[in-house]
Amino acid sequence: MALLRNDLHTLTGVYALDALDTAAEVARFERHMHRCQSCTSEVRGFRETATRLGMAAAQPPPPTLRAAVMADVARTRQLPAVDERARHARPAPRLTLLPRLATAGAALGVAAAIALAVVLVNTQNQLSQTQQQLGQARRHLIQAETQLAAITAVRTAADAILVTKATSIGGTVTVVKSASRHQLVVTASSLPPPGAGKVYQLWLIGAHGNKIRSEGLLATHHGHSGPVLISGVLSGDIFGITLEPSGGTVQPTVTPIVGIPA
Amino acid sequence: MRASEPELPRPEGGGDNQYLDGLLARVARGDQAAFEAVYDNLAGPVYGLILRVVRDPAQSEEVSQEVLLEIWRTAARFDAAKGTAATWVMTIAHRRAVDRVRSAAAAAAREQRSAEIPVPHDEVAATVEATLDAERVRRCLEGLTEAQRESITLAYYGGYSYRQVSGRLNVALSTIKTRIRGGLIRMRDCLGVSW
Repeated sequence: MALLRNDLHTLTGVYALDALDTAAEVARFERHMHRCQSCTSEVRGFRETATRLGMAAAQPPPPTLRAAVMADVARTRQLPAVDERARHARPAPRLTLLPRLATAGAALGVAAAIALAVVLVNTQNQLSQTQQQLGQARRHLIQAETQLAAITAVRTAADAILVTKATSIGGTVTVVKSASRHQLVVTASSLPPPGAGKVYQLWLIGAHGNKIRSEGLLATHHGHSGPVLISGVLSGDIFGITLEPSGGTVQPTVTPIVGIPA
Repeated sequence: MRASEPELPRPEGGGDNQYLDGLLARVARGDQAAFEAVYDNLAGPVYGLILRVVRDPAQSEEVSQEVLLEIWRTAARFDAAKGTAATWVMTIAHRRAVDRVRSAAAAAAREQRSAEIPVPHDEVAATVEATLDAERVRRCLEGLTEAQRESITLAYYGGYSYRQVSGRLNVALSTIKTRIRGGLIRMRDCLGVSW
């Protein structure tokens, strides 16, 4: 059955769940996705979401599996990277370097060959490390952009509600919350300095008070903070801030200076 | 259980992601000890997801073994710029599970056992240790409309194609497509997925 072009755009969810019917449909969607930035990023988000669904189904694997897999691994050669980026950026894989190294070894002597091997392996390791850091840096950039977009989306959501509350130690905290997005954005102003060895820490407290999740530390500059996005907010949660020893704590140790129903 | 486990300062899953990315980079360089650590972190999710889709424990073990070996063989193809390590692994696992159940013979055999279909959504939590993450997934699934939840559950946990889902529920194909996308958007926002 042929798919109409305008249908392709909304197939992101079906594609991310591996629920297209044929390889031809998959190929067709992927061609479209390469030209469609918003489809690509939507699919990424959906795949991360599907991963959470998958993780929630975790079961202890049969005890025999581990030994079987490790035995396979010990006798199976790995494949080099072949994706587009790798073709441009990656050096020749080490596997192809080694035979050449052996030939060189005959001429140079074993000691020199070992020295060369160490240099090559180190270089290879540094390159992979750099590539890994680059990958992470790119992801952080994409995440920062996504976060900025999310902050704007919460602030402009149709159901956005703004709450400003004074804290018990001075200054105010403003929360913009959107129930439909399960997110809120926090900003603080005129907070007193946390004091030596202290930090402001953010919390999300579940409806029954039994699930408390740290949302990280709040960085302030002259008592003011930039917007902080908090996600995964469920109805009944309470948002709070406490003053904790620097580095933060696992559970709040003192009474919050402010608490706002999220 | 989970209460004594420190959840600070990593945001949900954040620290794990970098840890797993680093492990995979080492696996790509042939580090078997790193692979064992990947196994210890992800074999449970991989096996559990495959079992959920394939249902037969013996076949699930077989598919899990194939998937974990594929992780070893192709670790150099993991690209941290395109997604997290866990997602790379779980995507491979889900695809292999779906391939297994969609092959004609397997599908026929599974249909014979299909009395238990559709799988009730609350089974997700019932079969899992009640971690905070699993509880969030369950609560977020509950936040979907019944129609969205049914379509996503059949497609993801059931391994059915959207055409099969449409046939089973007797609902138009375009409606299934919309329900799956709408449901995933809600799940994504509810879980706070930051992509």
